[in-house]
Amino acid sequence: MDCREFREQHLSYVDDTLPGIELVRMQMHLTECPECSRHDATIRRSLMLFRSLPRIEPSPDFSQKLERKLRDARVADAAALHTGRTRRLGAAVTVSSALMLAYIGLSLRQVDTPQDIVLPPVVALAISTEVQPSSGPALEMIAAVPAGLPLWTAALYAEQTPVHFASIESTSAR
Amino acid sequence: MAIIARKQAVQAQPQGATVREQLRAMDDSGVVSAFLGGEERAFSELVDRYQTRLLNFIYRTIGDREKAEDLVQEVFVRVYRHLHRFDRSKKFSTWAYTIASNLAKNELRNRSRNPLVLFQTVQKNWQDDDRPLQFEDSTSRPDDMYRKRFLREIVEESVAKLPEHHRNVFILRELEGKSYEEIAEITDCNLGTVKSRLNRARNSFAEIVAPYME
Repeated sequence: MDCREFREQHLSYVDDTLPGIELVRMQMHLTECPECSRHDATIRRSLMLFRSLPRIEPSPDFSQKLERKLRDARVADAAALHTGRTRRLGAAVTVSSALMLAYIGLSLRQVDTPQDIVLPPVVALAISTEVQPSSGPALEMIAAVPAGLPLWTAALYAEQTPVHFASIESTSAR
Repeated sequence: MAIIARKQAVQAQPQGATVREQLRAMDDSGVVSAFLGGEERAFSELVDRYQTRLLNFIYRTIGDREKAEDLVQEVFVRVYRHLHRFDRSKKFSTWAYTIASNLAKNELRNRSRNPLVLFQTVQKNWQDDDRPLQFEDSTSRPDDMYRKRFLREIVEESVAKLPEHHRNVFILRELEGKSYEEIAEITDCNLGTVKSRLNRARNSFAEIVAPYME
Protein backbone atom coordinates (compact mmCIF):
# COMPACT_ATOMS: atom_id res chain seq x y z
CA MET A 1 0.00 0.00 0.00
CA ASP A 2 1.28 3.47 -0.84
CA CYS A 3 0.62 6.73 1.00
CA ARG A 4 -2.00 7.88 -1.51
CA GLU A 5 -4.06 4.76 -1.02
CA PHE A 6 -3.63 5.05 2.72
CA ARG A 7 -4.97 8.63 2.74
CA GLU A 8 -7.89 7.64 0.52
CA GLN A 9 -8.94 4.90 2.90
CA HIS A 10 -8.14 6.79 6.07
CA LEU A 11 -11.74 7.92 6.65
CA SER A 12 -12.99 4.34 6.76
CA TYR A 13 -9.96 3.32 8.80
CA VAL A 14 -10.69 5.87 11.52
CA ASP A 15 -14.38 4.97 11.48
CA ASP A 16 -13.47 1.29 11.65
CA THR A 17 -15.53 0.33 8.63
CA LEU A 18 -12.81 -1.35 6.58
CA PRO A 19 -12.92 -5.06 5.81
CA GLY A 20 -10.37 -7.17 7.74
CA ILE A 21 -7.76 -7.51 5.02
CA GLU A 22 -7.75 -3.80 4.26
CA LEU A 23 -7.46 -3.02 7.92
CA VAL A 24 -4.34 -5.18 8.19
CA ARG A 25 -2.81 -3.50 5.12
CA MET A 26 -3.46 -0.06 6.64
CA GLN A 27 -1.87 -1.10 9.93
CA MET A 28 1.16 -2.46 8.12
CA HIS A 29 1.57 0.80 6.21
CA LEU A 30 1.42 2.73 9.47
CA THR A 31 4.33 0.80 10.85
CA GLU A 32 6.32 1.43 7.70
CA CYS A 33 5.53 5.10 7.03
CA PRO A 34 6.25 7.68 9.74
CA GLU A 35 4.57 10.45 7.71
CA CYS A 36 1.26 8.60 7.49
CA SER A 37 1.61 7.50 11.07
CA ARG A 38 1.93 11.15 12.13
CA HIS A 39 -1.06 12.08 9.96
CA ASP A 40 -3.13 9.34 11.55
CA ALA A 41 -2.20 10.49 15.06
CA THR A 42 -2.95 14.14 14.29
CA ILE A 43 -6.37 13.32 12.89
CA ARG A 44 -7.30 11.12 15.83
CA ARG A 45 -6.09 13.61 18.44
CA SER A 46 -7.87 16.54 16.80
CA LEU A 47 -11.10 14.55 16.61
CA MET A 48 -10.78 13.62 20.26
CA LEU A 49 -10.34 17.26 21.12
CA PHE A 50 -13.39 18.24 19.13
CA ARG A 51 -15.54 15.49 20.63
CA SER A 52 -14.59 16.61 24.11
CA LEU A 53 -15.91 20.13 23.58
CA PRO A 54 -18.42 20.96 26.31
CA ARG A 55 -22.08 20.38 25.48
CA ILE A 56 -24.21 23.43 26.07
CA GLU A 57 -27.59 23.14 27.76
CA PRO A 58 -30.77 25.02 26.90
CA SER A 59 -31.33 28.16 28.96
CA PRO A 60 -33.77 27.93 31.93
CA ASP A 61 -36.52 29.81 30.08
CA PHE A 62 -36.22 27.65 26.97
CA SER A 63 -39.39 25.67 27.70
CA GLN A 64 -41.43 28.78 28.49
CA LYS A 65 -40.35 30.47 25.30
CA LEU A 66 -41.10 27.34 23.30
CA GLU A 67 -44.54 26.99 24.90
CA ARG A 68 -45.30 30.61 23.98
CA LYS A 69 -44.22 30.03 20.40
CA LEU A 70 -46.28 26.86 20.16
CA ARG A 71 -49.32 28.71 21.48
CA ASP A 72 -48.81 31.45 18.88
CA ALA A 73 -48.46 28.80 16.21
CA ARG A 74 -51.73 27.17 17.29
CA VAL A 75 -53.54 30.52 17.16
CA ALA A 76 -52.02 31.32 13.76
CA ASP A 77 -53.01 27.89 12.43
CA ALA A 78 -56.56 28.29 13.71
CA ALA A 79 -56.81 31.75 12.12
CA ALA A 80 -55.37 30.43 8.86
CA LEU A 81 -57.87 27.58 8.92
CA HIS A 82 -60.75 30.02 9.45
CA THR A 83 -59.51 32.34 6.69
CA GLY A 84 -59.02 29.36 4.44
CA ARG A 85 -62.56 28.19 5.06
CA THR A 86 -63.99 31.66 4.40
CA ARG A 87 -61.95 31.93 1.22
CA ARG A 88 -63.02 28.48 0.11
CA LEU A 89 -66.65 29.37 0.76
CA GLY A 90 -66.27 32.63 -1.17
CA ALA A 91 -64.59 30.81 -4.03
CA ALA A 92 -67.34 28.19 -4.07
CA VAL A 93 -70.04 30.89 -4.21
CA THR A 94 -68.19 32.70 -7.01
CA VAL A 95 -67.71 29.54 -9.02
CA SER A 96 -71.31 28.42 -8.60
CA SER A 97 -72.56 31.91 -9.56
CA ALA A 98 -70.36 31.89 -12.64
CA LEU A 99 -71.62 28.44 -13.57
CA MET A 100 -75.22 29.53 -13.08
CA LEU A 101 -74.74 32.62 -15.24
CA ALA A 102 -72.98 30.59 -17.90
CA TYR A 103 -75.86 28.10 -17.91
CA ILE A 104 -78.45 30.86 -18.22
CA GLY A 105 -76.46 32.51 -20.99
CA LEU A 106 -76.18 29.27 -22.90
CA SER A 107 -79.86 28.56 -22.49
CA LEU A 108 -80.79 32.00 -23.81
CA ARG A 109 -78.44 31.63 -26.72
CA GLN A 110 -80.00 28.33 -27.65
CA VAL A 111 -83.45 29.97 -27.67
CA ASP A 112 -82.27 32.90 -29.79
CA THR A 113 -80.32 31.00 -32.37
CA PRO A 114 -81.82 27.64 -33.24
CA GLN A 115 -79.69 25.21 -35.08
CA ASP A 116 -81.87 25.13 -38.29
CA ILE A 117 -82.92 28.61 -39.17
CA VAL A 118 -86.34 28.63 -40.75
CA LEU A 119 -87.07 31.95 -42.32
CA PRO A 120 -90.69 33.05 -42.39
CA PRO A 121 -92.15 33.91 -45.80
CA VAL A 122 -91.36 37.44 -46.81
CA VAL A 123 -94.44 39.46 -47.70
CA ALA A 124 -93.77 42.35 -49.99
CA LEU A 125 -96.22 44.94 -51.07
CA ALA A 126 -96.08 46.39 -54.54
CA ILE A 127 -98.29 48.95 -56.09
CA SER A 128 -99.60 47.86 -59.42
CA THR A 129 -98.21 49.84 -62.21
CA GLU A 130 -101.31 49.36 -64.27
CA VAL A 131 -103.33 52.46 -64.13
CA GLN A 132 -107.03 51.85 -64.13
CA PRO A 133 -108.77 53.90 -66.68
CA SER A 134 -110.33 56.69 -64.83
CA SER A 135 -113.96 57.33 -65.44
CA GLY A 136 -115.71 60.55 -64.68
CA PRO A 137 -114.40 63.89 -63.89
CA ALA A 138 -112.07 63.12 -61.11
CA LEU A 139 -109.07 64.10 -63.09
CA GLU A 140 -110.75 67.17 -64.20
CA MET A 141 -111.54 68.10 -60.62
CA ILE A 142 -107.93 67.69 -59.68
CA ALA A 143 -106.95 69.88 -62.54
CA ALA A 144 -109.63 72.44 -61.76
CA VAL A 145 -108.85 73.23 -58.19
CA PRO A 146 -105.37 74.58 -58.65
CA ALA A 147 -106.69 76.32 -61.76
CA GLY A 148 -108.85 78.57 -59.59
CA LEU A 149 -112.25 77.12 -60.24
CA PRO A 150 -114.80 77.77 -57.52
CA LEU A 151 -114.67 75.14 -54.79
CA TRP A 152 -118.31 74.30 -54.83
CA THR A 153 -118.04 73.22 -58.46
CA ALA A 154 -115.22 70.97 -57.54
CA ALA A 155 -117.20 69.54 -54.62
CA LEU A 156 -120.11 68.93 -56.93
CA TYR A 157 -117.88 67.12 -59.25
CA ALA A 158 -116.51 65.14 -56.44
CA GLU A 159 -119.92 64.04 -55.23
CA GLN A 160 -120.87 62.95 -58.63
CA THR A 161 -117.66 61.17 -59.24
CA PRO A 162 -117.57 57.56 -58.14
CA VAL A 163 -114.79 56.99 -55.67
CA HIS A 164 -111.90 55.25 -57.26
CA PHE A 165 -109.14 53.65 -55.33
CA ALA A 166 -105.94 52.59 -56.78
CA SER A 167 -105.87 48.89 -57.21
CA ILE A 168 -103.27 47.29 -55.08
CA GLU A 169 -102.15 43.80 -55.59
CA SER A 170 -100.48 41.82 -52.99
CA THR A 171 -97.73 39.70 -54.26
CA SER A 172 -95.99 37.18 -52.20
CA ALA A 173 -92.46 36.43 -52.92
CA ARG A 174 -89.99 34.03 -51.40
CA MET B 1 -59.73 4.73 7.98
CA ALA B 2 -57.42 7.42 9.31
CA ILE B 3 -60.11 8.52 11.77
CA ILE B 4 -60.48 4.97 13.09
CA ALA B 5 -56.70 4.63 13.49
CA ARG B 6 -56.59 7.94 15.32
CA LYS B 7 -59.39 6.86 17.67
CA GLN B 8 -57.64 3.59 18.38
CA ALA B 9 -54.40 5.41 19.14
CA VAL B 10 -56.21 7.75 21.52
CA GLN B 11 -57.88 4.81 23.24
CA ALA B 12 -54.53 3.06 23.51
CA GLN B 13 -53.02 6.07 25.27
CA PRO B 14 -51.42 5.35 28.58
CA GLN B 15 -53.48 6.66 31.46
CA GLY B 16 -52.70 8.26 34.79
CA ALA B 17 -49.41 9.23 36.36
CA THR B 18 -47.35 6.72 34.40
CA VAL B 19 -47.98 8.38 31.05
CA ARG B 20 -44.64 10.15 31.01
CA GLU B 21 -42.80 7.02 32.06
CA GLN B 22 -44.46 5.02 29.35
CA LEU B 23 -43.67 7.66 26.79
CA ARG B 24 -40.08 7.68 27.97
CA ALA B 25 -39.88 3.95 27.41
CA MET B 26 -41.12 4.25 23.83
CA ASP B 27 -38.91 4.74 20.81
CA ASP B 28 -39.31 7.89 18.70
CA SER B 29 -41.76 6.24 16.36
CA GLY B 30 -44.02 5.27 19.27
CA VAL B 31 -43.90 8.76 20.74
CA VAL B 32 -44.77 10.27 17.36
CA SER B 33 -47.71 7.88 17.04
CA ALA B 34 -48.90 8.80 20.53
CA PHE B 35 -48.77 12.50 19.67
CA LEU B 36 -50.63 11.99 16.42
CA GLY B 37 -53.15 9.96 18.39
CA GLY B 38 -53.94 13.02 20.49
CA GLU B 39 -51.51 12.66 23.40
CA GLU B 40 -50.12 16.20 23.73
CA ARG B 41 -47.60 15.15 26.38
CA ALA B 42 -45.80 13.11 23.74
CA PHE B 43 -44.58 16.32 22.20
CA SER B 44 -42.87 17.31 25.45
CA GLU B 45 -41.12 13.96 25.36
CA LEU B 46 -39.79 14.69 21.88
CA VAL B 47 -38.62 18.12 23.06
CA ASP B 48 -36.85 16.54 26.05
CA ARG B 49 -35.10 14.04 23.81
CA TYR B 50 -33.89 16.45 21.18
CA GLN B 51 -33.54 19.95 22.59
CA THR B 52 -29.95 19.59 23.80
CA ARG B 53 -28.77 17.62 20.78
CA LEU B 54 -30.29 20.04 18.31
CA LEU B 55 -29.05 23.01 20.30
CA ASN B 56 -25.46 21.77 20.19
CA PHE B 57 -25.70 20.88 16.54
CA ILE B 58 -27.00 24.32 15.56
CA TYR B 59 -24.70 26.13 17.98
CA ARG B 60 -21.62 24.42 16.56
CA THR B 61 -22.83 25.18 13.05
CA ILE B 62 -23.61 28.88 13.45
CA GLY B 63 -21.53 29.76 16.53
CA ASP B 64 -24.16 31.92 18.21
CA ARG B 65 -25.80 30.49 21.29
CA GLU B 66 -28.76 32.84 21.53
CA LYS B 67 -29.66 32.45 17.88
CA ALA B 68 -29.14 28.70 18.17
CA GLU B 69 -31.83 28.55 20.89
CA ASP B 70 -34.22 30.52 18.71
CA LEU B 71 -33.61 28.17 15.83
CA VAL B 72 -34.11 25.06 17.98
CA GLN B 73 -37.45 26.49 19.06
CA GLU B 74 -38.30 27.10 15.45
CA VAL B 75 -37.44 23.46 14.70
CA PHE B 76 -39.92 22.32 17.35
CA VAL B 77 -42.61 24.70 16.13
CA ARG B 78 -42.22 23.24 12.65
CA VAL B 79 -42.24 19.70 13.97
CA TYR B 80 -45.43 20.48 15.92
CA ARG B 81 -47.16 21.96 12.91
CA HIS B 82 -46.10 19.40 10.34
CA LEU B 83 -45.76 16.17 12.25
CA HIS B 84 -48.93 14.85 10.61
CA ARG B 85 -47.11 15.10 7.27
CA PHE B 86 -43.99 13.30 8.48
CA ASP B 87 -43.25 10.07 6.60
CA ARG B 88 -43.29 7.59 9.46
CA SER B 89 -41.36 4.99 7.49
CA LYS B 90 -38.32 7.22 8.12
CA LYS B 91 -36.46 8.09 11.30
CA PHE B 92 -37.84 11.01 13.27
CA SER B 93 -34.34 12.12 14.28
CA THR B 94 -33.26 12.41 10.65
CA TRP B 95 -36.28 14.57 9.90
CA ALA B 96 -35.66 16.81 12.91
CA TYR B 97 -31.98 17.21 12.03
CA THR B 98 -32.89 17.99 8.43
CA ILE B 99 -35.11 20.85 9.58
CA ALA B 100 -32.37 22.06 11.94
CA SER B 101 -29.71 21.81 9.25
CA ASN B 102 -31.81 23.83 6.80
CA LEU B 103 -32.54 26.52 9.37
CA ALA B 104 -28.86 26.78 10.27
CA LYS B 105 -27.94 27.00 6.60
CA ASN B 106 -30.47 29.79 6.06
CA GLU B 107 -29.12 31.63 9.07
CA LEU B 108 -25.57 31.49 7.71
CA ARG B 109 -26.78 32.61 4.31
CA ASN B 110 -28.64 35.57 5.81
CA ARG B 111 -25.57 36.54 7.77
CA SER B 112 -23.34 36.49 4.74
CA ARG B 113 -25.78 38.93 3.11
CA ASN B 114 -25.85 41.15 6.17
CA PRO B 115 -22.37 42.14 7.40
CA LEU B 116 -23.83 43.94 10.43
CA VAL B 117 -25.33 40.72 11.76
CA LEU B 118 -22.07 38.92 11.11
CA PHE B 119 -20.18 41.55 13.05
CA GLN B 120 -22.60 41.41 15.96
CA THR B 121 -22.31 37.65 16.06
CA VAL B 122 -18.54 37.73 16.07
CA GLN B 123 -18.66 40.34 18.80
CA LYS B 124 -21.02 38.17 20.82
CA ASN B 125 -18.74 35.18 20.45
CA TRP B 126 -15.93 37.11 22.03
CA GLN B 127 -17.97 37.68 25.18
CA ASP B 128 -16.95 34.45 26.75
CA ASP B 129 -18.14 35.16 30.26
CA ASP B 130 -21.64 33.96 29.33
CA ARG B 131 -20.44 30.66 28.02
CA PRO B 132 -19.98 27.41 29.90
CA LEU B 133 -16.43 26.58 30.90
CA GLN B 134 -16.70 22.83 31.35
CA PHE B 135 -13.46 22.38 29.44
CA GLU B 136 -11.70 23.62 32.56
CA ASP B 137 -11.49 21.62 35.70
CA SER B 138 -11.93 23.83 38.77
CA THR B 139 -9.35 21.75 40.62
CA SER B 140 -6.67 22.48 37.99
CA ARG B 141 -3.96 25.08 38.45
CA PRO B 142 -4.76 28.52 37.00
CA ASP B 143 -2.18 28.27 34.21
CA ASP B 144 -3.50 24.86 33.26
CA MET B 145 -7.05 26.21 33.27
CA TYR B 146 -5.96 29.04 31.02
CA ARG B 147 -4.27 26.66 28.61
CA LYS B 148 -7.35 24.44 28.40
CA ARG B 149 -9.61 27.40 27.91
CA PHE B 150 -7.35 28.70 25.17
CA LEU B 151 -7.36 25.30 23.50
CA ARG B 152 -11.14 25.15 23.63
CA GLU B 153 -11.35 28.51 21.93
CA ILE B 154 -8.92 27.37 19.28
CA VAL B 155 -10.99 24.25 18.62
CA GLU B 156 -14.20 26.28 18.36
CA GLU B 157 -12.59 28.78 16.02
CA SER B 158 -11.13 26.00 13.91
CA VAL B 159 -14.56 24.45 13.43
CA ALA B 160 -15.92 27.85 12.48
CA LYS B 161 -13.19 28.20 9.85
CA LEU B 162 -14.33 25.11 7.96
CA PRO B 163 -16.44 25.75 4.86
CA GLU B 164 -20.15 25.56 5.71
CA HIS B 165 -20.94 22.31 3.87
CA HIS B 166 -17.84 20.63 5.34
CA ARG B 167 -18.62 21.87 8.85
CA ASN B 168 -22.19 20.60 8.68
CA VAL B 169 -21.10 17.07 7.77
CA PHE B 170 -18.24 17.18 10.28
CA ILE B 171 -20.50 18.16 13.21
CA LEU B 172 -23.16 15.61 12.29
CA ARG B 173 -20.56 12.86 12.22
CA GLU B 174 -18.16 13.77 15.01
CA LEU B 175 -20.49 15.44 17.48
CA GLU B 176 -23.85 13.83 16.80
CA GLY B 177 -22.50 10.44 15.78
CA LYS B 178 -24.69 10.16 12.69
CA SER B 179 -24.03 7.47 10.12
CA TYR B 180 -22.92 8.39 6.60
CA GLU B 181 -26.35 7.38 5.29
CA GLU B 182 -28.18 9.60 7.77
CA ILE B 183 -25.89 12.52 6.98
CA ALA B 184 -26.56 11.99 3.28
CA GLU B 185 -30.28 12.19 3.95
CA ILE B 186 -30.04 15.20 6.25
CA THR B 187 -27.80 17.19 3.93
CA ASP B 188 -29.49 15.94 0.77
CA CYS B 189 -26.21 14.69 -0.73
CA ASN B 190 -25.10 11.33 -2.01
CA LEU B 191 -22.94 9.01 0.05
CA GLY B 192 -19.77 9.73 -1.94
CA THR B 193 -20.12 13.47 -1.39
CA VAL B 194 -20.61 12.95 2.34
CA LYS B 195 -17.48 10.82 2.62
CA SER B 196 -15.43 13.22 0.55
CA ARG B 197 -16.58 16.25 2.56
CA LEU B 198 -16.00 14.49 5.84
CA ASN B 199 -12.50 13.45 4.83
CA ARG B 200 -11.61 17.00 3.77
CA ALA B 201 -13.17 18.47 6.90
CA ARG B 202 -11.15 16.13 9.13
CA ASN B 203 -7.93 16.95 7.32
CA SER B 204 -8.56 20.72 7.37
CA PHE B 205 -9.55 20.69 11.02
CA ALA B 206 -6.49 18.67 12.02
CA GLU B 207 -4.27 21.01 10.02
CA ILE B 208 -5.63 24.10 11.83
CA VAL B 209 -5.52 22.56 15.30
CA ALA B 210 -2.24 20.65 14.98
CA PRO B 211 0.12 23.53 15.90
CA TYR B 212 -1.72 24.02 19.19
CA MET B 213 -1.60 20.36 20.12
CA GLU B 214 2.19 20.15 20.24
